Amino acid sequence: MVALVTIVLLFLVALCSPAIVGTKPIVCNYKGNLYFPCLGYFNPKWENPIFIKDKFRGVYPRSLKQKDAESWAVWPLVYQDPYRRVKADEWHGVPSSREMLDNPVQNHGKPSAHNFFGTTPYGVDVFAGMVHGTRIAVLVGFVSMGIASFIGITIGALAGYFRGWIDVVLSRLIEVVMCIPTLVLILALISVIAEPTVWHLMAIIGVTSWTSIARLTRAEFLKLREMDYVAAARALGASHVRIIFIHVLRNALAPVLVPISFGVAAAILIESALSFLGFGAPPPNPSWGNLLHLGQDHILGKMWWLVLFPGLGIFLTVLCYNLVGEGLQEATDPRLRQAGK
Amino acid sequence: MTEPLVEIKNLRTHFFTDEGVVKAVEDVSLTIPRGKTLGLVGESGCGKSVTALSIIRLISPPGKIVSGSIAFYDDGRKIELTTLPEAEMRKMRGSRIAMIFQEPMTSLNPVFTVGSQIAEAVRLHHRVSSREAWDRAVEMLHKVRIPDAQRRASEYPHHFSGGMRQRVMIAMALSCNPKLLIADEPSTALDVTIQAQVLDLLRDLQTEFGMSILIITHDLGVIAEMADDVCVMYASKVVEYAPVVELFTNPLHPYTRGLFASRPEPGKPKDQKLRTIPGVVPSPLRFPSGCKFHPRCAYAQERCKKEEPVLRRPNLSQIPPSHVVHCHFAEQIEEQEEAAVKSV
Amino acid sequence: MTVQAPAPTPTAAAPATRPLLQVTNLKKHFPIRRGVFQRVVGHVRAVDDVSFHINPGETLGLVGESGCGKTTVGRTLLRLIEPTAGEIAFEGRDVRALSGGQLRQLRRDMQIVFQDPYGSLNPRMTIRAIVEEGLIIHGLGNRKERLEKVIDTLEDVGLDPTYINRYPHEFSGGQRQRICVARALALNPKFMVLDEPISALDVSIQSQIINLFTELRRKHNLTYLFISHDLSVVEYISDRVAVMYLGELVETGTSRELYHHAIHPYTKALLSSVPKMTPGKKPERIVLPGDVPSPSRPPPGCRFHPRCPLAIDICKVESPRETIVDGHMFRCHVMEQQLKSPASKK
Repeated sequence: MVALVTIVLLFLVALCSPAIVGTKPIVCNYKGNLYFPCLGYFNPKWENPIFIKDKFRGVYPRSLKQKDAESWAVWPLVYQDPYRRVKADEWHGVPSSREMLDNPVQNHGKPSAHNFFGTTPYGVDVFAGMVHGTRIAVLVGFVSMGIASFIGITIGALAGYFRGWIDVVLSRLIEVVMCIPTLVLILALISVIAEPTVWHLMAIIGVTSWTSIARLTRAEFLKLREMDYVAAARALGASHVRIIFIHVLRNALAPVLVPISFGVAAAILIESALSFLGFGAPPPNPSWGNLLHLGQDHILGKMWWLVLFPGLGIFLTVLCYNLVGEGLQEATDPRLRQAGK
Repeated sequence: MTEPLVEIKNLRTHFFTDEGVVKAVEDVSLTIPRGKTLGLVGESGCGKSVTALSIIRLISPPGKIVSGSIAFYDDGRKIELTTLPEAEMRKMRGSRIAMIFQEPMTSLNPVFTVGSQIAEAVRLHHRVSSREAWDRAVEMLHKVRIPDAQRRASEYPHHFSGGMRQRVMIAMALSCNPKLLIADEPSTALDVTIQAQVLDLLRDLQTEFGMSILIITHDLGVIAEMADDVCVMYASKVVEYAPVVELFTNPLHPYTRGLFASRPEPGKPKDQKLRTIPGVVPSPLRFPSGCKFHPRCAYAQERCKKEEPVLRRPNLSQIPPSHVVHCHFAEQIEEQEEAAVKSV
Repeated sequence: MTVQAPAPTPTAAAPATRPLLQVTNLKKHFPIRRGVFQRVVGHVRAVDDVSFHINPGETLGLVGESGCGKTTVGRTLLRLIEPTAGEIAFEGRDVRALSGGQLRQLRRDMQIVFQDPYGSLNPRMTIRAIVEEGLIIHGLGNRKERLEKVIDTLEDVGLDPTYINRYPHEFSGGQRQRICVARALALNPKFMVLDEPISALDVSIQSQIINLFTELRRKHNLTYLFISHDLSVVEYISDRVAVMYLGELVETGTSRELYHHAIHPYTKALLSSVPKMTPGKKPERIVLPGDVPSPSRPPPGCRFHPRCPLAIDICKVESPRETIVDGHMFRCHVMEQQLKSPASKK
């Protein structure tokens, strides 16, 4: 239950990350028009081109004041940026001390009232990176598992429902895919792809991790297709499509959520691992793994916050997904349910 | 009357579940006579199995024997089973009280030979060598009429059919000469012809070993063949209790009457509708007030909704004192029914 | 090898007595597969050469012990299981030759009710959706008409129509079985297979459902195949009864004949095995030795011979043929000789 709440919270954070931390206003009135520059964090194209034309250079507070005295803006809760260092005097209250920001390696840049989780060796705020990193964590989990679920459920359903040679062929296919070492495949593919992005990563994780979903779906279908209500539907004259979707899939879905939930956790771990190794989302992109990557020279060194906070984030998220998966397993496993009664 | 082997007084066994307290057995009193058979009849969930499990103290949490006494008379000593320490109770199980279950498929361990499983049961209670225990196992298999017992003893359970496994279970249960055999739906999972074999076997073994049998079933036919006394349970309560012939000739409780009337019997007129007991079996979480049978009872009156009847002797001349019933209006119903029979 | 079954009277002469369902030499063998390559190593002869007919408005009871193939017979009639061989004619149409649209049409006329009222209702569908499904599949009526039909049907089976938006788990076993009957009934079938419809119910509920079946038969002029192992119930509800043993029909007759003058030794043993409701009397019964053999390796000759108290030498070698005496069919060498010999002919 706590795990579920945490995951929902993670979603909210991912969705509202630009409103929580950022240097771009949530809403601003500029030269008589309303703009939402913070959307630029989701996709640079969504940041209105007017700000580039007017040479804001990403520094909004000063630019807005200088170029339109009438302008107003609503700012994110915390003024920090996941991509760049916040300069002195850019925002009231943010330290102006140059050496603190310019020499973070000199035991500076540690957690403070302004950089809750400290900064990277480049002076970029870790808290901002963490908050914006949730987007990738959530995205990786869901897109890759979305792909995996689609493939897994389709193949499992076909194998389990039609049995016979279809089952034999698909089961062998599952076994073949199961033998592919995901991490090695990803490393190989990334070295081939010219410009690897997070999307490539997600696609690769998706197409290699559907096997457990397929196997469980197949088992559920094999079991459920023998139920009398399926026979009754056939006796009523229902078509295969109708039986698969209305009678079997709806009952198979709950148990299949279990490996999906575990899969999300695994996908997040794989992405973090890759980023840590330097093969993940290209560096300026904030991802938990990238932050860890920056910290890899400092695990025992002085910049402990670079390891602790992203590591904790990954740990908690993966733990939550696993707990949810276990909860689902308990809820759907009739033996455990009976024991509870 | 024969002396009692087990005397249960005001037994209450409840299950404390998340959804509430399930009063599975409420105020049940009954006596198992020595060397005789008591039949416990009722529908699923009426508490008959829990009563049996209470005797052998195999009630696991959230279930608990809340109150009441179960006295077991052994060689002139009275043993109170509800308060017996677990270690003592373990000695009772198998050696004094044995049990066989409905599902002969799952009650045997598939990885051991049947002979070794019976021998194991023997060695639990007797200090004998494994050779002697094995011989005893073979002897028992022979007694339950398994052909070629010597050879079959070293086979595994999956080599045996359902009926044969139930025989093995009986052999195991009787291997230590128990005084009481509890048979929980022993023939329900079996086919009619196999059921006949098993029931015959049980009756013959009773003559040979002289144990008492508590047989639990929902099948009145099995009761008619096996039992000496019958106890009818409905919604955790005993509703009627009588010697078997008496109960079958003079059912008094409306529920018992309903059970008899609703059975299609050879020779009953076919174009006539069956008499039914309307409604559904109540959930033990939401028992009705007063007499628990009143929502389904054709004779129910205002009093039945408020006041729970007691188990009592009906004030009827033709009914022997051993026949008790749990109904406010047993006498009036009997009169009405008799009048109806006469008028036809 | 078999004597022709009695029913096929010329259709032109007496169309009224033409059977609704005529089954001839029905066979269903399930392959037993083993090993990596799923090689077929043998066959379970679940149904072997079964022939019977059911007249319109009649109830045929099919009794036998577990594993005798009675459920398989019921399911092959509706082609829920594809038969291996044999003919099934429903109203003169060859059921096995139907495909696609014709098969769907057939399924409006033939319906089935299963034993387990828990497994035969989709737990994620409301009662309305369950009963309505057949109407949707066959494109019958618009939304409003379908709802009316659902309500009518639910009232027919004795359920309160205000429950239509509830889910199956909110109902007891007996009520669920009524829902199953409603689902089958919604399409106005002519013929229903009732596959052990009351075995899973509590004793006090069974009679309610039996009454429901007899009521519906009268009201909708239904024809039933009633499959059960409970001989008393079958006798009550059936006009004729067929007894199965190890995939074969061993005896068929009117329920009166069969219960009072059983001919086949298996039927006799079966009837005598039913516990009698007469306490105090020592039951006189024929206790059969041994177990039912596996249908994958049925004994040669008469399949009943290893357990039969009457078995003679020929029984071990030759399978007995169907013998019909006064419309009463049986397959037994011994009884055939007895009844055919002029001395004992009645």
